[in-house]
Amino acid sequence: MRGSLVPVYRSRPSPLHTARAAASAGLCASLALVCAVYEHPLVLAAVLAAVVGAGLAAGVGREIARAAWLAVPLALLVTLINPLVYAEGETLLVRGATLLGHRFDITLEALAAGGLAGLRLGAFTMVFGLASACVDPDELLRLFRRVSYRSALTASLATRLVPVLARDAMRMGDAARCRAEPPGRLAVTRAAVSGALDRAVDVAAALEVRGYSAGGRPERDRRPWSRHDLRAGAGAVLVLVAAVAGRIAGAGTVTEYPGLDIALGPAELALAACVLLGAALPFAGRATRLGVARV
Amino acid sequence: MSEALVCAERFSYAYPERAQPGLCDVSLELAEGSFTVLAGASGSGKSTLIRALCGLVPHFHGGDVSGELSVGGMSVREHGPGELAAVCGTVFQEPETQVVMGGVRAELSLPVEHRGHSAAAVARSVEEVALALGVAHLLERRTDTLSGGELQRVAIAAALVHRPALLLLDEPTSQLDPVAGDELIWLLRRLNEEWGTAVVIAEHRLERCLPAADRVVALEAGSVVCDNAPADFLSWAAAAGGALATPVARLFSLAGLGPLPVSVKAARDRLRDAGLAPAASSPADLEAQPERQGSSARMAPEERRPPSIFSRRPRAQPALELRGVWHEIEDGPQVLRGVDLRIDPGERVALMGRNGAGKSTLLRHLKGLADPTRGRLETAGPVALLLQNPGDYLIHEHVGEETGTRGLAAAGLSERAGASPRDLSGGERQRLALEVALGDGPGGREGEVSPLDRLGGCQGGVPPLDRHYAAVCLDEPTRGMDRASRTALAERIAALARSGAAVVMATHDTEFAAEFADRVVLMGEGVVIADGTPSEVLGGGWHFSTDVARTLAGAGGALTPEAGARMLTRELIS
Repeated sequence: MRGSLVPVYRSRPSPLHTARAAASAGLCASLALVCAVYEHPLVLAAVLAAVVGAGLAAGVGREIARAAWLAVPLALLVTLINPLVYAEGETLLVRGATLLGHRFDITLEALAAGGLAGLRLGAFTMVFGLASACVDPDELLRLFRRVSYRSALTASLATRLVPVLARDAMRMGDAARCRAEPPGRLAVTRAAVSGALDRAVDVAAALEVRGYSAGGRPERDRRPWSRHDLRAGAGAVLVLVAAVAGRIAGAGTVTEYPGLDIALGPAELALAACVLLGAALPFAGRATRLGVARV
Repeated sequence: MSEALVCAERFSYAYPERAQPGLCDVSLELAEGSFTVLAGASGSGKSTLIRALCGLVPHFHGGDVSGELSVGGMSVREHGPGELAAVCGTVFQEPETQVVMGGVRAELSLPVEHRGHSAAAVARSVEEVALALGVAHLLERRTDTLSGGELQRVAIAAALVHRPALLLLDEPTSQLDPVAGDELIWLLRRLNEEWGTAVVIAEHRLERCLPAADRVVALEAGSVVCDNAPADFLSWAAAAGGALATPVARLFSLAGLGPLPVSVKAARDRLRDAGLAPAASSPADLEAQPERQGSSARMAPEERRPPSIFSRRPRAQPALELRGVWHEIEDGPQVLRGVDLRIDPGERVALMGRNGAGKSTLLRHLKGLADPTRGRLETAGPVALLLQNPGDYLIHEHVGEETGTRGLAAAGLSERAGASPRDLSGGERQRLALEVALGDGPGGREGEVSPLDRLGGCQGGVPPLDRHYAAVCLDEPTRGMDRASRTALAERIAALARSGAAVVMATHDTEFAAEFADRVVLMGEGVVIADGTPSEVLGGGWHFSTDVARTLAGAGGALTPEAGARMLTRELIS
């Protein structure tokens, strides 16, 4: 979808695209796990670098840049809001005014905590962007259909409807400009939303006549694992194991309050290196040059 | 053909909360391997019958059913769409909402995976159907990158991937351009002839599918009013007023010739047998005989400049004038390439050309939705534009809220002010959307009053506009319309032209252009490649031509059945 901040999957001859969805989605999921478990700036920076590097190597740099347009404002927002909400911390930067009995002081620790939370959210958004651009949603949903058939199909319908509804809304906006008296945005939005219901009913009817209610589950994917599958899978396992082991070993601890304390040692460096290595693994060796067919 | 695949006995159905039945006492039998066309005006019950055959009626839509209808030996009252899908594949009107998955391969795999087939069986089914339907090159494409025609082919492939005995199609060509529509009908014909798949198709453009059909079932108010072979159906349709007759059948009927031909080829053969075959004329002939056509040669080769605006006789201030208008997309193609065009007040212009020729972009420029990257565009006043999807203009809960009493009267919807716009037929929506675009609201609007409106008042039974438009533009207004709706639209357009507005209509519908326009502008690759009267541009064309012109080989510039019949009658008398 042109102009959307959420990257859209397009088949490309890159190792990450060519790898089976289970492997490439596994790699993205393990990177997301690192974002969820760690708040350490070095580790999060490694995730960001891994995402950007993998995106560039997979030929989806433009999509990653688009995801950054979403991630950076989100991160900044969290960074700026946190010191206004939390006045804890020992290092006072700005003594604020008192409003409704609450004094708005800004501390270095609260600002740093906000920055780390923003970095984490930004890294998470970028990982999501990488997954959206590189993992075939159909193949992924096929995997989930084996687990939860109806939920996965509903999800696939929703993903299918998003670009359709975006196009509908764009067309309705144009039609509104063509009216002698253009209506308000609210009226157009309301019409677009109610139109979505009609669209959903049409798609549901199409699903019914395709035998949806027969409810068969797809067979397990028995394709042999290609070198791209193996490399992406190995990258996912490496990042996952490093994240879990690091957590058990107590690596990457960050204490924001009352004083800022960020641990930095061999464990953190090793964890960051594993994240980078894991993301680089799918691109190790000879690159796929021809075609987009699954190997 | 052998035993009945579909068997209906006094089958009736009413949608929930609707007084009128959708289907009324329908009795018919359809054989295996047959090709059946469902004919009828909008709202006659064609779509309801298709939805009953695939089980959506009553299982998906609800409502009351009586009588019996079985498909492949399964009663639709007892078996839902999931079970009936084993016997029949279904394709609907709107290509975009029929595709469920993001990729073509996944889309084709889904129906067979639903049936629990093995991975190998799924792969083989997908490969076979993709090759059979000519969509193998699309297998790795994302569905949101496909054109309407490609999407519709993919939808047909998805409907056929498990090899059902029956294929149901509900106006599958209504959202497609003529080339894609014709390709689709040829594909259905091949499916029917080579693989014996029975086809039931509901369609307004009967001339497209009658040559392939071996049976036509006509519906009116939910009842079967004719069930015959195509030739007999045409005789019935001609006797019943001609609303469902094809242009060629109307030509023969008006000229008093019979029997009525099913196709252009049959029509030409019969004319030849009767010694009435006219001499063929082509674009080259038209160029070679300018005096016969009454103007200079219009079908100019691409390298030749379009006719100069200065070659025309001097006229009053134009309604619209484009001078060297370009539309260049920064990282894309040049959509318009130096278009020169002058349109006078009251002129009715059909803008034709294949998809991507620049027609819609030109209309968007006229309305001001896009700005030229180079060149000048001048209009003598405000411009109204009706875009392709009339539903996009209808944003309120009730029809009466969309426009005022005058607009409702002009749209012929005064009695339906309390209805939801969603419950309107395609033709009614189109008429209402046109009035919404014209802004003919209650109490009037600020703006000039057309002198013709003031003098002539209500033209053709249509209330006059409060606002005078320099031009009214319509983008593909006849898509998916039946003949009655097209006639009503033509009358409204004629009234607008009489009020002094130039009417510019982008269309693929050559028959409508021949009836409505007094000038046809043919575009190709963003430039005007022909500009002249309908007879000049459409009379000798191959693709851009009417069925009547094809039948008569462009003789006399006759495009419509009426003009063709007059010519044939003169021939018969002489």
